[in-house]
Amino acid sequence: MGFVSWLFRRRAIDRDLDAEIRAHFEMAVADRIAAGEDPQSARLAAINEFGNVLQTKEAARHVWRGGAVAVIADLWQDVRFGARMVVKNPAFSLVVIAVLSLGIAGNAAIFSLFKGLALKPVSGVRDSSRMSVALGRTADGRNVGLSLPDYRYIKEHNQAFEDLTGSSMIFANVGLGADSERIVAELVTGNYFQGLGVGAQLGRTLGPADDVAPGQHPVAVISDSLWRSSFGADPAVIGKTLHLNGTPLTIVGVADPAFNGTMVSMGVDVFAPIMMQPQLSPPSRLDSYGIFMMTTMGRLKPGVSNQNASAQIAVLASQLDAEHPINKFTRRHAVVPIWQSPFGAQTYLLPAIAMLGGMGVLILLVVCANVANLVLVRGVARRGELAVRLALGASRGRLLRLLFVENMVLAIPGALIGVALASFLLPFFAVGASSSAPSRMYLDTSIDAYVLLFAIALAGACAIVFGFVPALRTSRVELTSALSDVSPRTASRGWLRSMLVVSQVAASLVLLISAGLVLRSYAAAVKADGGFDATNVTSVAVDLQTAGYDQPRGSVILTRLLDALGSEPAIESASLATNVPMSLVDGASRATTIEGYAPRSDEDMLFLFNIVAPEYFRTLRIPLLAGRDFSRTDDASGQPAVIINETMARRFWESPENAIGKRIRSGESEWRSIVGVAKDVKYSRLSEPPRSFIYYPLLQTYAPAITIHARAAGDVNHAMRRVRDHMQAIDPAIPITRSVTLREQTRVALSVYQLSAGALTMFGVMTILLAAIGIYGVVAYTVQQSTQEIGIRMAIGARRVDVAWNFLGRGATLAATGAIIGLAIAVSLSGALSSLLYGVGTRDVVSFAGGTALVMGIALMASFFPAWKASKTDPLTALRHQ
Amino acid sequence: MEQKHYRPRLEILQGTLDMLILQTLQWGPQHGYAIGQTIRTDSAESLQIETGSLYPALHRLEKQGWVKSDWGTTEQNQRAKFYRLTPKGKKQLLHERDRWTQLVAAMATILNPKRSRS
Repeated sequence: MGFVSWLFRRRAIDRDLDAEIRAHFEMAVADRIAAGEDPQSARLAAINEFGNVLQTKEAARHVWRGGAVAVIADLWQDVRFGARMVVKNPAFSLVVIAVLSLGIAGNAAIFSLFKGLALKPVSGVRDSSRMSVALGRTADGRNVGLSLPDYRYIKEHNQAFEDLTGSSMIFANVGLGADSERIVAELVTGNYFQGLGVGAQLGRTLGPADDVAPGQHPVAVISDSLWRSSFGADPAVIGKTLHLNGTPLTIVGVADPAFNGTMVSMGVDVFAPIMMQPQLSPPSRLDSYGIFMMTTMGRLKPGVSNQNASAQIAVLASQLDAEHPINKFTRRHAVVPIWQSPFGAQTYLLPAIAMLGGMGVLILLVVCANVANLVLVRGVARRGELAVRLALGASRGRLLRLLFVENMVLAIPGALIGVALASFLLPFFAVGASSSAPSRMYLDTSIDAYVLLFAIALAGACAIVFGFVPALRTSRVELTSALSDVSPRTASRGWLRSMLVVSQVAASLVLLISAGLVLRSYAAAVKADGGFDATNVTSVAVDLQTAGYDQPRGSVILTRLLDALGSEPAIESASLATNVPMSLVDGASRATTIEGYAPRSDEDMLFLFNIVAPEYFRTLRIPLLAGRDFSRTDDASGQPAVIINETMARRFWESPENAIGKRIRSGESEWRSIVGVAKDVKYSRLSEPPRSFIYYPLLQTYAPAITIHARAAGDVNHAMRRVRDHMQAIDPAIPITRSVTLREQTRVALSVYQLSAGALTMFGVMTILLAAIGIYGVVAYTVQQSTQEIGIRMAIGARRVDVAWNFLGRGATLAATGAIIGLAIAVSLSGALSSLLYGVGTRDVVSFAGGTALVMGIALMASFFPAWKASKTDPLTALRHQ
Repeated sequence: MEQKHYRPRLEILQGTLDMLILQTLQWGPQHGYAIGQTIRTDSAESLQIETGSLYPALHRLEKQGWVKSDWGTTEQNQRAKFYRLTPKGKKQLLHERDRWTQLVAAMATILNPKRSRS
C-alpha cells in the first residue's frame, strides 16, 4: 500500500484502537463494580491493571506498519525532526549549508564539464557516451581518421558495429561575399542521421539517397543555431539556397535543436553529403585511400567490446593493405570508446578535468572536515538529548539514522544551492575556453538530471562523512556520564577537532600550491612566444573561393594583395599563410617522400605543413637557421622550393646546413628542393614536443583560404584596419572571415591553462577561507573551554601576553602540522600536474613557498583573534564562571 | 499483508499467546476483554494476559488474516470490537497445536529421560 494512503489509514487505525481500549477499560470497570467494588477504586484498579496505555497502543499500531512503509514513516518523522532542528539553530544550519554549497558548486561545475565531454559528448544523440570510434593510427601512435574508401569497406564488412556513420569536418564559409560567415560543416555519409538517431525539426535529414554520385547532391541540413541566427527561424527556409564555400546547396531540413554535430565541443552548423566534397573543398578525395578525412562513429553490437571490435577492424585493415596498399603506410586501424577519440575537445580537456576533479575531491574533504567540526560541537551540546533518547530505548542504529537524516536535511539544500551556484560558475569556467575558440564552442554543460544526481550523491556522501564521524562518537555516549555530567571539559574531544583542522590546512595548501603552479604556468604561457613573435601581427582571414575565384584568378589576387601590403606604410612586413600557429588542433598532414631515404616499413612519414607566402619568417620573426625565406621568385615560373624546420633537418640530414638543396616530395607530386631551414615553433600547443614540419610556398601551391599576417609598423589595430581596407579595395566581395591580432588568435592554445588556473584559484581561495574558519573555530573553542584555566593562571601571575602567546602557539602548531603534511602531499602529487604546466617545474619554489606563507599567515591570523580575546579575560569573572 | 513481516520476537511465549487466543476464539467471536478473561479463568487464574501483550497480539493475528474483527455490542450494551476466527486461522490453530504437542513431547523426553541402561 502506498505511503500516502497509509498516512490516511493510520488515522483510522488510531481512532479504532482508542475506541477498542476504551471499551476494554469500561468493561473491566463494569466487571469490578458488578463484583462489588465502589466505582472510584474500581477505576483505579482497572487503570493499574491495564498498565501503560501508550505503550500498548504504540505496540498495536506498530503491527500495522511493515517493511518500506514503516521505514518511510520513521524517516518522515526524522526528516520533520531534522527540519525542526534546522530552524532551531539557524546560524549553525546556514553556515553548514553555505559551506557545503560552496564545495558542491565547484564539484558540480567540474562535473558538468565532464558530463559534456565524456557522459554526453554528442548532444542530441541518445547514450552517446557508449559510442565507439573507428580510426587509423600512424606508426608512432598518432590518431588519424579513415579514408573514405577504407571507411566504406569497414562499414560493409565489419561485424562489430550496429552501424558505422562517417563524416568529414571542414571549416567553411556560409553565404556569399563580404557577408559570409565562417562556420564548421560536416560532410556526412548517407547513414549519418539514421545511424545516430537524429531527426529533423523541419524538413528532412540526409539519407542514403544523398550519398550516391559525386557532385550530384547539392543539398544541406542546417543546425538549429544557424537557422535562428541566419534565417530568423523562418519556417519557410526549406528549399532556400545556401552558399557553402561558394557552392549553392538547397536547404532540405533543420536538424534537431539538441544536435550540434559529432565533433565534441564544436558546434557544427551545416551538414552536407560527403559526395559534395569535391565541390565544397576541392580537390576530390573521395577515392583516395591515403587521405584520412573521415571521422567515424557507431554503437557496438551487444556483447562486442572495443578490443573485439579493434581485432576485427585490424583484420579488415590487413585485407585493405593487401588489396589497396598505401605508399609507405601500413594501416593500423583500431576502435576506441568516444571519450578517447582524438576528434574533439576531450583529448586536451579531459586531463585538465581529471586534475580538477581530483582537486574537487580535496575541496570536498575540507568542506566535510569543516562541517564535521561544527557538527561535533553541536554533538557535544546534544549529548544530553541523545542520552535521553538512548535511555528511552532508542537503538544505536535508530539514533545514527536520525543523525544521518538530520545531516541530509542540511545536505540536500546545500546540494541544490551548490548546483545553482555551479550554473553561475560555469560561464566563468567556459568563457576562457570559448572566447578564443576557432568556431562556435558547444558543450552540453547544462544542469540536468546527471548533474543534479551527482550533486545529491555528493551531498549524501558528505552527510555520511561529516555526519557519521562525529555521530559515532556522540552515539557512543555512556548514559550515566552524559546524563549526570554535562561539563564540557569531558566532552572537548580535542584531538579529533585538531585532526580535522590539520587536514583542512593540509588540503588547502595542496590546492594553493597547485593553483600557484598552474597560475604561474598560465602567466608564463601568456608571455611565451612559442618560437615566433605574435605581438603587433594581424591575423585576418579571407576566403577567395567563396567569392568565386578559381586558381588562376585567385593567384592574381594573392599577388596583388602582397603588392598592396608591401607598399603600405603602416605595415613593416606582411605575408600569407593557410595555417595559424598555436591554434590548438593539428592541421592536415601529408605523406612525404625524402630523396635517398628508405623509411622503415612502419616509420611515420606523415608531416604537418603550412602553405606560406614570401616573407613569412621575417613577418613572424621565426629565425632561419640555414638557407633563405621564400621570395617572390618562388612562383609558378620558379624551381619547386620548400622550407623545413630544424627538427626535420636534424632527423634526416644531421644539420640544417646539410639539408639545403636536398629534395622531398609529398605524395606523387613533383620533387621540391629545400631552400631554407627554420627554427621550430609551437605549431598547435605550447606543450607539444618538437616535431617535423614543412612549409610550402603559396605562390607555387595555391590555396584559397588564407590568413594575412602583417607586422604593424605602429599600432596593430591601425594596421589591421589598413589590411581590411586593401582587401576591400581589391575586391569587396571577398569575405573577411576573421580579423583579430595574432596574439588574440593564439590565446586559444592557452584555454586549457586558463580554465585550470581559473578553477584552481577559485578552489584555493575557497579552501583557505574554510581552513581559516576551521582554525578560528578550534582556537576559539579551546579558549572558551579554558576560561577557568586562564583565570587561574592570571590569578597566579601570568601576564596577558603569555596567555595570548599560549593560544597563538596552539593555532600555529596546528597550522604548521597541516602545512608540513600538505607540503609532503604536494611534493608527491605535483608530478601529476606536469601535463598542465608550462615554463615552471613541478617543484617550483615560488609556488611552494608562496602557498605555504599564505596558509601559515592566514592560519596565524585566524588564531590571533581568539588568542587576543583570551588575553582580555578578566580572572575574577572567569573564576566565578561555572 | 505478506507473511514475511510476521516476526515474533520471543518465539515460544509469543507463539503461545497467539495459540491461546486462537483457541479461545474457536468457540465463537469475542472481544479483547473477554478473551483475556477467558484465558484467565480457563487456566484457573494461572495465566494472566497483560493488555500490553493482548492487543498487539490481536492486531498481529488480524494482520496475518487469522482473525477478523467487527464492531458490535455486548450483552451489557457496550460497544466493543469482536474478533472471530477465519478458516485460515483455524488451520493455523491446528498447526500450532501440533507443534505444541511435539514440543511438549520433546521437552518431556529431555526433562524426564527414561533411565534405561542396556
